[in-house]
Amino acid sequence: MISASLNAYIAVSALLFAIGFLGVLVRRNTLVIFMCLELMLIASTLALVAFSRFNGTMDGNTFVFFILTVAAAEVAVGLAIIVAYFRKKQTVQVDHINELKN
Amino acid sequence: MSPVSLALLVLLLPLAAAGFIACFLRRRGGAASFLSIAVAAVIAVGAFALALGGNRFEAATEWLRLGDFAFSLGFKFDDLAALMLVIVGIVGLCVHVFSAGYMHDDASRGRYFAGLSIFMFSMIGIVLADNLFMMFIFWELVGFSSWLLINHWFGKPAAAAASKKAFITNRVGDFGFLLGIVMCYWLRGTVNLSELGAQGAAGHALFSRAIPLLLFCGAVGKSAQIPLHVWLPDAMEGPTPVSALIHAATMVAAGIYMLCRIEVLMVPDALTVILWVGAATALYAALCAFTQRDIKKVLAYSTISQLGYMVAAFGLGSVRGIDERGEVVVVAAGVGAAMFHLTTHAFFKALLFLGSGSVIHGCHGEQDVFRMGGLASRMKFTFATFTIGVGAIIGLPLLAGFYSKDAILALAYANNRGAFAVLALTAVLTGIYMLRLWLVTFFGAPRSEAAGAAHEGGFALGAPLAVLAVLAAVGGYFGLHPGAFSGAFAGVFSLVHEAAGAAATVILATSIGILLAAAGIAFAVYRPAKVSAAGDAVEASAPGLFAALVALKESFDRVYDYYIRKIQQRLAMLLNFIDIIGLAGLLIRGGAGLVGMVGLGARALHVGKLSSYVYWFLAGVVVLWLFASGVL
Repeated sequence: MISASLNAYIAVSALLFAIGFLGVLVRRNTLVIFMCLELMLIASTLALVAFSRFNGTMDGNTFVFFILTVAAAEVAVGLAIIVAYFRKKQTVQVDHINELKN
Repeated sequence: MSPVSLALLVLLLPLAAAGFIACFLRRRGGAASFLSIAVAAVIAVGAFALALGGNRFEAATEWLRLGDFAFSLGFKFDDLAALMLVIVGIVGLCVHVFSAGYMHDDASRGRYFAGLSIFMFSMIGIVLADNLFMMFIFWELVGFSSWLLINHWFGKPAAAAASKKAFITNRVGDFGFLLGIVMCYWLRGTVNLSELGAQGAAGHALFSRAIPLLLFCGAVGKSAQIPLHVWLPDAMEGPTPVSALIHAATMVAAGIYMLCRIEVLMVPDALTVILWVGAATALYAALCAFTQRDIKKVLAYSTISQLGYMVAAFGLGSVRGIDERGEVVVVAAGVGAAMFHLTTHAFFKALLFLGSGSVIHGCHGEQDVFRMGGLASRMKFTFATFTIGVGAIIGLPLLAGFYSKDAILALAYANNRGAFAVLALTAVLTGIYMLRLWLVTFFGAPRSEAAGAAHEGGFALGAPLAVLAVLAAVGGYFGLHPGAFSGAFAGVFSLVHEAAGAAATVILATSIGILLAAAGIAFAVYRPAKVSAAGDAVEASAPGLFAALVALKESFDRVYDYYIRKIQQRLAMLLNFIDIIGLAGLLIRGGAGLVGMVGLGARALHVGKLSSYVYWFLAGVVVLWLFASGVL
């Protein structure tokens, strides 16, 4: 079994984060943007778990539990908002979500 | 009742009366006048009880503390304050009673009597104040009540203008007064009169001169000295009893009283300035009085002249005397002479003003003396009391003014012969113009219908005249006998300088000479046969002289007019221009424009596209990162 180094975990985490961030930047569908945001959260979670593992402390793991809890709550609220918005406007494209501007 | 609470009652009762009238009795003139007169009577009784009760006290309470600066309100009741309080009490009561008759038909009697009461409150506050800050507060309050009462007939443009002129002119003097108080506090650390007295007039040579002279500015304004005298003749637009109380007997004398209060701060150089300001005012105003046809304005100039006399008397300063034990003592004779003349002047000038009020009332509002005449037979009582007043002011022996004027002349003879000459000349002029007024008003044939139908005004107008006539007759004896009233006012009157030996003969001869010269000239020039309704005898026979006097009288108003129109107004326009272009235009509008442009730029960022916000966010993170890593 190849034991992965810390750098490998961080590289994967950075890659996931970059993919998520890129998705937030370029995608137009709110639902996809939301998924990308989740991806970024998961990336940071992965980094924290790796830190925790390699430092031999529980600090990172504690963070992870908090992040997962908050992410779950956020998904519940965020998806609800998106669904409500779709019912009202029949679209979730961010280009159309600009009513505060006018 | 303890003396302090009695003093507090005397101080606050008129304020309460004024407040009550203002709130509830504005439309009920009868009740308002009754309340106000009752309060004035209580004040008079309280003043006598305090003065003669032998109580001399100081009491203070802290009112405000700001860091190290404590502002106390308190009473300093010594012989000087007792004398002034009694004068204010007596004259105040007489004027209140007179007003009940004089203002009987006035529609806004309530406002008038509320004004009188608030004036009494303010004036008593000045009298009792134990520190300069408190005195300044009440100083401004008398200015306010003076404005209120001059302005009583505010429908008349002249009255409205006169009240504003009085207030603004006084503000000029009061500014100096305030500077003096601040400088005094800054350098001495206290403005309490007793503590200042304990310190004496020490300190830096420049400041020891500047403090009394700045404080004197307040007296110049309030007591109508050159060059701020211009408001007093105009103030005659107010009701006549107000002129008697405020612009003759009490408020304008507050300047003299204040000087006597701060006598301890005086240094010789300051006293010299004060002396010559007073002497110049006395002479100048006496000359101006010759040009006036209005009975009240003659008396107004006479008041300015007499106030100048008092200021000059104060400026003459101390004399060295030898006490019973043979030691040299310095007696503040200036205070004695000034306060002595203030006392007698308050009585006879209030009498003269109220007498003129009675004349005006009798002639249905006619104020031009050349349209009067022959009133001696129609208004016998007013004539008799007015004659006593005239006798007192021109220094007829045995009447009050004779003694107080002689006290000043004696002091001048001892300390400054130049001032003696000016004051003696002023006394001659005073005699002439007062006899002119007396002859033209009361003798000859009536020169108008109103004068022909003149009548006495009744009890309310007569009784105060009688009281004041008695006081104008006997008031001089207080000064001769400091021990009178069981020595209640000895602290003031024992300071009066009495000439002795050859000097006494000179003074007596001068005094009699002044009287004879004045009477001779007056009877020669203003013989009843020579007087006509058209105008002044001097104007007819020596128009050049009369025109010169008129020009002299108007010179100050002309200079001020020129200054305000040509200099101050242009400066104001310049400042206005700077304000509009510089402040409002560049600074304020420019600032608003700058902020608006920033807003315009910031608005451009707000495009309404979520992805562009993310880019901005990314840029922000980069900047923050650069900042955190020390690149920026």
